[in-house]
Amino acid sequence: MKKISAILVVLCIALTCAFAQGGKEAPAAAATAAPKETIKLTVWVGDLYTEVTEKIIEKFKAAYPDETFEITVGIESESTCKDTVLTDPEAAADVYTFADDQLLALVNAAAIQPATVDADKVKTENGEGAVNAAIVDGQLYAYPMSASNGYFMYYDKSFFTEDDVKSLNTMAVKAAKAGKKVGMQFGADGGWYLYSFFKGAGLDMKINDDGMTNSCEWASKGGEAVAKGILDLVATGGFYADSTSNLVSAAKDGTVVALVDGTWDANPIMEAYKDNYACCKLPTFSVSGKDVQMASFAGYKLIGVNPFSKNVGWAMRFASFMTSEESQVARFESNGDGPANIKAAASASVASNPAIAALATQSQFATVQRVGGNYWTPAATLGTILSQGNPEKTALSDLLSTAVAGITAPVV
Amino acid sequence: MKGKFKQFLGSIGHYFSDFGAAVVHGDWSVKLSLVFMGAGYIRRRKYLYGVFLLAIEVFFILLAATFIAPNLAKFGTLGTVKAEMHFDDVLFTNVWNDFDNSFKILLYSIISLVAILIFALIWISSIKGAYSLQKMDEQGEKPPTIRDDISSAMNEKYYKTLLAVPVGGIVLFTIIPLIVMICIAFTSYDEQHMPPAALFTWVGWANFKQLFTTSLTSTFGYSFGKILRWTLVWAVLATFTNYFGGIMLAMLINNKRTRWKKMWRTCFIIAMAVPQFVTLLLVRNFFADQGIVNTICSNIGLTSLLKKIGLVPAYLNYIPFLTNPNWAKFMIIMINIWVGVPYLLLIATGILMNIPQDLYEAATIDGANSFQQFRKITMPYMLFVTGPYLINSVVQNINNFNVIYLLTNNVFETSDQLLANSHARETDLLVTWLFRLTNEYYNYKMASVIGIMVFVVCTVITLVAFNFVIRGNKEEGMQL
Repeated sequence: MKKISAILVVLCIALTCAFAQGGKEAPAAAATAAPKETIKLTVWVGDLYTEVTEKIIEKFKAAYPDETFEITVGIESESTCKDTVLTDPEAAADVYTFADDQLLALVNAAAIQPATVDADKVKTENGEGAVNAAIVDGQLYAYPMSASNGYFMYYDKSFFTEDDVKSLNTMAVKAAKAGKKVGMQFGADGGWYLYSFFKGAGLDMKINDDGMTNSCEWASKGGEAVAKGILDLVATGGFYADSTSNLVSAAKDGTVVALVDGTWDANPIMEAYKDNYACCKLPTFSVSGKDVQMASFAGYKLIGVNPFSKNVGWAMRFASFMTSEESQVARFESNGDGPANIKAAASASVASNPAIAALATQSQFATVQRVGGNYWTPAATLGTILSQGNPEKTALSDLLSTAVAGITAPVV
Repeated sequence: MKGKFKQFLGSIGHYFSDFGAAVVHGDWSVKLSLVFMGAGYIRRRKYLYGVFLLAIEVFFILLAATFIAPNLAKFGTLGTVKAEMHFDDVLFTNVWNDFDNSFKILLYSIISLVAILIFALIWISSIKGAYSLQKMDEQGEKPPTIRDDISSAMNEKYYKTLLAVPVGGIVLFTIIPLIVMICIAFTSYDEQHMPPAALFTWVGWANFKQLFTTSLTSTFGYSFGKILRWTLVWAVLATFTNYFGGIMLAMLINNKRTRWKKMWRTCFIIAMAVPQFVTLLLVRNFFADQGIVNTICSNIGLTSLLKKIGLVPAYLNYIPFLTNPNWAKFMIIMINIWVGVPYLLLIATGILMNIPQDLYEAATIDGANSFQQFRKITMPYMLFVTGPYLINSVVQNINNFNVIYLLTNNVFETSDQLLANSHARETDLLVTWLFRLTNEYYNYKMASVIGIMVFVVCTVITLVAFNFVIRGNKEEGMQL
């Protein structure tokens, strides 16, 4: 018995040692900002941005010569940043970059700091769309880093004329005749793109004031007409749904002569179309005989600060520095990101970039993405069914009302 | 089975009756040990043990005051103080209130309960120990010295010393997390209630009820039924296709008339050298709607042939290998055979080589043909040796995340809108569904409920199957 007790004692001690520390973990209170203390910050950026970020960090250090910094760069894709941050906000980086569609979830989980440092500067120096994308309930939460995260149309200008690309129906018919295709990711994982059809026809889908559930107008007479319009496009045989990565490789094969995609794929598409590379805003498509301009989600990349950071103030100052005009130009030069900064966006080199110019034209039909999580799966399924030409011949009204039931379902 | 259970209950009864006897028949020092642990030991001049036990008691009381009590006090509500903060311009950082973190409260409460249990065990055994010292004293025996105890822990009771580390590890890394996970199934831990910013609390059986209800907006019941069925079908098919595929291949290679045996074996085993997920991702691209396999199939006319038979819907000009539910299920099983058979080939080869050749020779003399030999000798032998392995791999396949997830993620989209409304797909197993619920929708409570269901399914299958395999005197029948 004594041996058992001895063993249990050891266990008990090990257990408590391991967790006692955690138990006392109170929120970091008065950590006085002693003047010459090293300021430690971690920053998460996408894997293609580490180099340019290192350069910006050096400049930041030079801008504050009185302080000593220890800034570490970690890799975290902007598109999945939210998932990692929300897993454990207290363990996430002090400064992180993310796509603006994740802002609401971050705000709801209180995993993002209201941006108070340089807020006015951010609001005046950046484009209106980008600033609005960083605001929730009138409060600025993030620092806009780039304005080129939306989608538009790439096309092969040896195949389509500038007149052709005004209408998706014209394009689809022309492509079908030549045995070619126009592609868009509105099937699997394609809720983000499917939105452009319905919103273009004036049917809204957005998040409610609770910041969780959605409201959606698609299950109406107008919605059926839009669904019919998509089915007509698919029926031409020249328009189809696939993932953007597959579309890009199909563009290289020469089968896809136009596709809806964003600036992140600009380089491979440029390689595919070579001298015939061209970009334009999204075309119109035909709904009950009328041409309707396709809408889109505007996309921005933002920089957020973790409220649980030990150095929130300096983290905000650094985030502000990372989104300065100079830093945004640096990122345009290194990665081709369209700047959100008004002055940087107006520079000649930026304005002459065809992809960014197309995005700028599309921006008048674009809305900031404010969508609750329940949108994505039902929308992707709706898109999949439509992209297959509604094989079960389900009544369009049923199709839409089931999808809307899922999209607007309460978060449980 | 029943006898063992009775024995188990009996030993628990003994444990407490021994304790009762110690308290009743113990002298004043043993009784004092109830309050001051180690008093009995000190009375019998076992000072080191006595002081040590007293130290544990002091430590436990301190722990109870600083850690156990504050956490357990909030266990009923899982916290009531919401996090709030403001940015302090002077400190240049955030100041937080002393907020409750529901998850930490839950975790620390479970740890506290385990700590209390461990302390109770120590307390009981210290009193029993003190009583047995008293008895030795009364009978004039010399109690063992510390050196005796150490040498006994190193010799005849060495197994206990050895077991201490694994047992501790299991408690820390398996039992505590497991209890926490099970508890989450009874809370409201989801996207709307995520610590540290928000609190969650107990909701009883509500989540289980939700798993079995179906309405247009909440289709968990529908999805659960559908996914559970496919999970079971998949587990059985995946296991047995691989199993028989491996055996057939091994027999083919082992056949006397097969030449270059080693080369064939090497060919299949080389496939194992490539990490499974690399293979799966590559295969996924091969079988994409516009992928290389589809190009080949349409060039050789297979696509149009399948269209004529009706296996490919008329509106498609490609074979929906991974995008149509039935095709996807078929392909997943086929691809699983391809990545899984080499392992079975290895196992089966080893076992086949071990079957005594004289059995076959005797059978041949008796006039048995090769199929009869396979049915009467090879298969019983294989099944006997690999029975537990088979059960294990059914359970493993129920949780076979890699194959399903890597082949269908971002490729397969369900066209069943009811499934979509609970974020499920036809090809999902319970585990991949669970993964999507947690990873993309932060629905930890439902994921936890599904996790418990997976556990129940696996337990039932294992118990039933093991009973079936081990039942009877099969072992003796196999004494060759």
